[in-house]
Order: sequence, then C-alpha cells, then structure tokens
Amino acid sequence: MSFDWKRFILILVAGTAAGLLWNAAGGRGFALGRSVLVQAGDEIVEVADAKALLDRGALFLDARPRDFWRMSRIPGALSLPEEDFDRAFAEIEEHLRRASGIVVYCSGFGCEASHVVARRLRERGLIAAILNEGIPAWLDAGLPMDSEPRS
Amino acid sequence: MSGLLRHPRVELALRFLLGAFFVYASLDKIWSPAAFAKIVYQWQVVGPVPSNLVAVTLPWVELLAGLLLIAGVWKRESALVIALLLVVFIAAAGSVMARGIDVETCGCVSVAKVEAASSWPPAWTKGVGWFLLCRNLVLLGAALVLARPRMPDDRRSVG
Repeated sequence: MSFDWKRFILILVAGTAAGLLWNAAGGRGFALGRSVLVQAGDEIVEVADAKALLDRGALFLDARPRDFWRMSRIPGALSLPEEDFDRAFAEIEEHLRRASGIVVYCSGFGCEASHVVARRLRERGLIAAILNEGIPAWLDAGLPMDSEPRS
Repeated sequence: MSGLLRHPRVELALRFLLGAFFVYASLDKIWSPAAFAKIVYQWQVVGPVPSNLVAVTLPWVELLAGLLLIAGVWKRESALVIALLLVVFIAAAGSVMARGIDVETCGCVSVAKVEAASSWPPAWTKGVGWFLLCRNLVLLGAALVLARPRMPDDRRSVG
C-alpha cells in the first residue's frame, strides 16, 4: 500500500473542520477571538494604562500564592491570593474600600487567578481591572518589580 | 527486531494501542474545549487566540486519526498524522522544560486539574516533564513503525 499525501492532508483538514464545526454548533464552544480567560464583565487593562493608574495612586493586588508575593511584587502591591481569598480579603478590605482604583495581576500566560480575584471583588461591590498578561507584560515594558523580601 | 515489528500481530497490537490511546486522549478535550484552551495557553508556546484554535481543532484530529488507525483505514497516513502530532508535542514539551515553565496539567489525556499528592496516577505523570517526554518518544516510535513503507513480503500478510 503506497502512501497517499492527499489522504494525510484530508485527515488534518477534516479533523480541523470538525473541531471548528463542533465549537460553533456543538453547544460547548467558546469565543475563539479573545483569551479564553476573559468573561463578560471583566475589565482588562494593558500595561501602559496600568502604569498610569499606579502613578495616579491605584491599589495593585497580587493574586498569586502569597509566597510569590513575598519574593517580589509590583511596587506597592498587596497580596490577595486566589486560594486564600476570604482571609486575605478581610485583612485588606479597609484599603480596598478606600482605593481610588484597583488593578489585579498574576503571573500571566494562562494564569486565571487575577480574573477570579477580580470577579470575587466584584461580588463584594469592588470594581477591579485585570492587568493583561500580568507580570510578564509588566517586565516586558521595562517596569520595575519590588524584590525586597517580605514576611 | 525489525522482523518482529513487521509481524502482522505486532502491527495490529500497535495500531489498536496507539489508536485507542489517541481516541481516549481526545474525548475529554472535545467535551471541555475551553478548559483545554486554558491549558494550551499555559504552555506559553502560542498566544491566547492561537491557543483557542489549537484547543478546538487538535482533539478532533487526534480522534479521527485514532479511529482510522483502529479501523485499519488509511493506516500509514493516519499513523503519520499521529507521528506529526507527537513531534509537535515533544518539541513543545522540550521548549516548556527548557524555559523552566511549571505546567502541572499537560492536558494530554485529561483537562482535570491535578488533585492531592496521594491521588492515582501520581502528579508527575500529568505535568510536563521527563515522563511525558519519554512516553511521547515511545508513542512516536510506534507511530513511525506503522507509517513506514511496506516491504514486498509485508503486503501478503498485512491487511
């Protein structure tokens, strides 16, 4: 039996078409044109806008596990880890209620913690923007991190 | 060794094992495309929109190639499709490991998050690491055996 490249390509094309069709009509699909992490109501800010907010006194929240925040953080950011949200929220609620603006970030690239934290803040009546692509975007823009160890 | 790999029963076993693995691996991803898209994005190989496209199309290619392999239809072509996928998986896993990115759930056969350390199978079989790399190399070897050109003697015995 000889190898037929047309069949090889047909398998790839048919599989791709079936996937796109299933996503469009299968009832379990999602919007392909934007990050899968973004849901209705999420407010996303790019790094330049986030920096402007920081300069205007916005409060930054680090949604990563607290050990990561202890090692380094965007300057001035408080820790509000997704997995310990309720306890950490109670600790900093006063700061949050007084803040002129809130930006949440995490480690970027598929990190969903900032989105989850922003939604949970919204449930408590607090509007928080999400830094698109998180810390990698911050670093790529040449902006500083505070690497002073915290307890 | 070469003769053994050309034996019809060995080829049949390889076809069923490889085909069944890829069919099984596709099902959870087809059922939960958004969860799979998040995992693809976490690999940091492509951006969010290409990750979405990979997540919705890749499992169907796996399913189709796996079913064809099991059915014995277009065997060499479907085996080469699987080999191509495995080469991409191996390259992507190597890139993730080289960059030191921690991916707890590779999304290879399931999109479920890693549970407690005591759960079975252990977490190290689910993340991107040496186990995944070695497993995919073994699967690639099997796919290449099935995709290889037939010798004249094989044509009599293999259907």
